[in-house]
Amino acid sequence: MAWSTLVSLVRVALGFSLAGLIGIPVGLLMGASVHVRKFLSLMVEMARPLSAIALLPLSIIIFKARTFSQLFGLEHLRYQKCLLNEMQLGMIFILFWGGVFPIILGTIQGVRSVRKMHLEAAGILGAGRLFAFRHVIIPSALPDIFHGLKLGIGRCWMVIIAAEMLPGTNSGIGYMIRYSYQLSRYDIMLASIVIVAFIGALFSKGLESLGEKSLVLRSRER
Amino acid sequence: MTALKVTDLSITFRESSREVHALGPVDFEIEAGEFLCILGPTGCGKTTLLRTIAGLEKPDTGEVDIPLHPDGGGPVIGFVFQQGALFPWMSIFANIEFSLKAKKIDKVIRRQKVESILEMMGLSSFSSSYPHQLSGGMQQRAALARSLVMDPDLLLMDEPFSSLDMRTSQELQENLRELLKKASTTVLFVTHNIEEAVYLAGEVIVLGHRPGRIVRREIIDLPDRRSRLSDTFTEYLVSLRKTFESLVSNP
Repeated sequence: MAWSTLVSLVRVALGFSLAGLIGIPVGLLMGASVHVRKFLSLMVEMARPLSAIALLPLSIIIFKARTFSQLFGLEHLRYQKCLLNEMQLGMIFILFWGGVFPIILGTIQGVRSVRKMHLEAAGILGAGRLFAFRHVIIPSALPDIFHGLKLGIGRCWMVIIAAEMLPGTNSGIGYMIRYSYQLSRYDIMLASIVIVAFIGALFSKGLESLGEKSLVLRSRER
Repeated sequence: MTALKVTDLSITFRESSREVHALGPVDFEIEAGEFLCILGPTGCGKTTLLRTIAGLEKPDTGEVDIPLHPDGGGPVIGFVFQQGALFPWMSIFANIEFSLKAKKIDKVIRRQKVESILEMMGLSSFSSSYPHQLSGGMQQRAALARSLVMDPDLLLMDEPFSSLDMRTSQELQENLRELLKKASTTVLFVTHNIEEAVYLAGEVIVLGHRPGRIVRREIIDLPDRRSRLSDTFTEYLVSLRKTFESLVSNP
């Protein structure tokens, strides 16, 4: 069971980091520039309601069963028990899909909620656009970015469990739930469900406490 | 030397289909080193006037003319907002350092400048505090320090003490007078508090109701050390109050 949990965790870690690495910059750009926002918002709004799970079969077709070990040319590990072997690209892709939209939306919200007075003050104090972006807009957006990340990781965790129950893998905690159901081992099934709930709560609390400090600093002034 | 010249300035706001003529036309100028107070009732457009001079609003007609900095660069303008313009996520030190950092001034010089201004303003012990940990008066003191550290050619102040209680506000007025004696900065100060204007200013301009126009100009001929209880002080106070009352009774 430890192995399955580890596989699921590493999958989420990869997919979620990718979502953050792409979602935050995209959100910053969309928040800061009307043109970028207009250009991208239709795409985001069309893509957002598409459930990540709905895309799993498609992404398996696109990425085949390719895994990270193949990506890095480590074919010889194929028949060994190795983490990289279980990192199917299709799975990582739908995790990214599940996590990226809350992050983008949270970041946009953060950038747009910066107080006008703070921007004006920065301008009068001689800050150029980039300087103000770095030292005023990003710090004021941080609480909302963290909120987006929190929603994002929650989504990722839901997506991975569901995805692991479907074809395309034989590892992970979601697979564990389905497999133990088929073997009528309801004790293992229930234990897995408890683990899922516990880890989900940990993620959410962890990001919340990370975001806390920035939230306190901003909200006190309001 | 003229530090600021405002010519035929008038401003209209357009909110959806409605047009509000907020200000003007007004004309005035300030000599370098002067302290000019703009006094007016709420809603006369005095804040708008200040924001236009700072370049935050665009005038419909007229011009704001601020001569270039002696070394040839653009004029350095300081602006102290009513309240809450400090960056809440930065320490007091970082807030004051902001403009110097934006100008890419060397770190050692930055530290020296910030520390000397903190000392001058009696804020040294709050250097690493965050704005929300300070009282309202201390916050405004820090905001003033943040503007003064730039060594501005023109300092614009938008009712900076109006949110404070009377005692704190008077204390800050006294501090401001002492600071300016040393620094000889040109100041344009906006307020609706007549006593504050008489205490601080070398000259007072009274603006009437919207659209704000100059209804009176008065040179405050009082010594540098002013007593709020002296006869001449009270005379100015009463005389300006009369102008104010007449504005309220027939706007």
